[in-house]
Amino acid sequence: MSFIDAHNITKTFSGRNGAEATLAIADISLAIGENEFIALVGPSGCGKSTFMLMVAGLEKPTRGELTIDSRPVTGPDQQRAIVFQEFLLFPWKTVRGNIEFGPRLNGVKKSQYRLLSEELIRLVGLQGFEHCYPYELSGGMKQRVAIARALANKPRVLLMDEPFGALDAITRESMQIELQKIWQQARCTVLFITHSISEAIFLADRVVVMSSRPGSIKKDVAIELERPRTREMFTSERFRHYERLLKECIWEEEQIPQACFA
Amino acid sequence: MKIAYRKFFSPLFFLLCWEGVTRAGMVESWFLPPPMEVFATLWAMIVSGEVPYHTAVSMGRAASGYLVAAAVGIGLGLLIAWSVLIEDFFDPLIELIRPLSTFALVPILFLWFGVGDTSKVIIIFKSCFFPILLNTIAGIKGVDRKLILAAQSLGANGRQLWLQVLIPSALPVIITGLRISTAMAMMSLVGVEMLSSDSGLGFLVIDAQRTFDTRRVFAGIIVLSAVGFSIDFAARIIQSKAVAWHTHTSLGGKYP
Ligand SMILES: Nc1ncnc2c1ncn2[C@@H]1O[C@H](COP(=O)(O)OP(=O)(O)OP(=O)(O)O)[C@@H](O)[C@H]1O
Ligand SMILES: [Mg+2]
Repeated sequence: MSFIDAHNITKTFSGRNGAEATLAIADISLAIGENEFIALVGPSGCGKSTFMLMVAGLEKPTRGELTIDSRPVTGPDQQRAIVFQEFLLFPWKTVRGNIEFGPRLNGVKKSQYRLLSEELIRLVGLQGFEHCYPYELSGGMKQRVAIARALANKPRVLLMDEPFGALDAITRESMQIELQKIWQQARCTVLFITHSISEAIFLADRVVVMSSRPGSIKKDVAIELERPRTREMFTSERFRHYERLLKECIWEEEQIPQACFA
Repeated sequence: MKIAYRKFFSPLFFLLCWEGVTRAGMVESWFLPPPMEVFATLWAMIVSGEVPYHTAVSMGRAASGYLVAAAVGIGLGLLIAWSVLIEDFFDPLIELIRPLSTFALVPILFLWFGVGDTSKVIIIFKSCFFPILLNTIAGIKGVDRKLILAAQSLGANGRQLWLQVLIPSALPVIITGLRISTAMAMMSLVGVEMLSSDSGLGFLVIDAQRTFDTRRVFAGIIVLSAVGFSIDFAARIIQSKAVAWHTHTSLGGKYP
C-alpha cells in the first residue's frame, strides 16, 4: 500500500435550494509514495483544490476511500499542512508569531518552538524580518512565511494550492528553486497544484493531469530529470519533450467553459 | 503625535465670524451672545464646580449604559455568530427592536422605573447595543473561510480557533462598533437628560433655556461638544493601538 492512497474518490456538492448538484470529482484513484513530489495540473474547475482539501481532511469525499499511512483520513491533522495561493497569514502576528502558531497550539515548549522558528526563518531566508508584520512584506516574502508556518508542525505531507500563482515570473522562478531546496532538506511528501506546466515539470517527480469537470485522472507522467534540478534544464530537450506531451494532453481538455445558470 | 496646525483654521474662522456678527450688532445678544461672553460664562461655571459636577453625573450614566451594552453586545454577538440556532432565535427580535427609535421606549420606561437613573441607563444601553452587536456578528462572519482552513490545518481546535483566529481577525470590525456606540451614547444621554432630569449636561442646557440664559445654553453645548470630541479622540487612539496591523493593511484613514 502506498503512503497516500486515494481509491475511487468521488465528490458531489449538493446544490443550493434544490439547484442541481455538482459532480466535482468523478472516480479518482491515485497512489503517492512517501517523500514523493507530485504536481497536479488540469483545467480550471476540474476539482484540484477540492481533491487537496480532501487529502487535508477539510472536505469529505462523497464516495471512495482515502488513506494516509494506511489510516483513513477523518479530519484535519498537524501531519498535513497547507499553503494557499493567497498566503493567508495572520495579519496581527509577526513573521515569527505566524511560524510559531502551529507548534504553540500543539503544546510545544517555548524553548523548542523558538529554536524551530529560528531554523525555519533561516531555511526560507527571512533573517532580519522576524518582527515584521505581514503588511510589511512583499508577496514572495509572505509566501515564504506561509511555507515556514506550514513546515513548523514538521508535517509528513505538504499540500500546496497554486502557491506561486500570485507572484511575478522572476520571483516565481527563484521560489521554485528554493522550494526544491526546502523540500530536499525537510523531506516530506508534497502535493503541488499549479497551472504552470514548466513549474510542474521542474519540481515534480510525477505530474498528474486531471480531466475537466467532473475531474478524473487523465495522465500520470513520471519526470525523469536528475536532482537537484537547475534553471538550465528548462531549455533541455528532455524538458521540452515533457512540456509538449503535457500541453497536448491539457489542450484536449480545455473547452470553452459553459455558462453557469444559477 | 504630530499636530497639523492647519486643522485649527476652520474652528478659529468660525469663531471669528461669530464674534464679528455679534459685535457688529447684527443680532441681539440675548439671541446670540458673543463667543467671548460665552467662554467667560463657561469659565465661571467650571470654576464654580457646576460643569465638573454635571459632566461627572452624565459620564457615569453614559458609561454604565455603554459598558453593559458592550459586554452584552459582544457576548451575544459571538453566540449568534457561533450558532445558527441561536441566530434564528434572536434574529427576528433584533430586527423588530433595532429600527425602533430609542425614545419610543421612554414613556414606558419612565412608567416602569420612574424618571431616575435606571431609565436613563436603559435608554443609553438600547442606543449603544445594536451597533456593537451587529458589528460583532459581521466581524466574525466576515472572517475569510480559507484563513480558518489554514488555522485548522495547523491544528487549531474549536476553542483555539475562536480565541486565536476568529476574535483577533474580527477585532477591527468589533472595535468600529464600539466606537460608533460612543457617539450613540452621547446622543441619547443628552436627549434623555433633557426630557427629565435635575442633573447632567443635558439638564444644564435645557435648564438654561428655560430661563432664557443663552450664554449658559451655549456654554453647555460647548462642554458637550468637547466631551464628545475627547471621547472619540481617545477611542481613535485606542483603536489605532489595538489593531495597528489593520490600520496598516487598510486605508485606515490615511489617504495617499
Ligand atoms: N464549497 C463548494 N460548494 C459547491 N461547489 C463547489 C465548492 N467548492 C468547489 N465547488 C465546485 O467544484 C468544482 C471544482 O472546484 P475546485 O475549486 O476544486 O477547482 P480547481 O480545479 O481547484 O479550479 P482552479 O484551477 O480554478 O482553482 C467547481 O465546479 C466548483 O464550482
Ligand atoms: Mg483551485
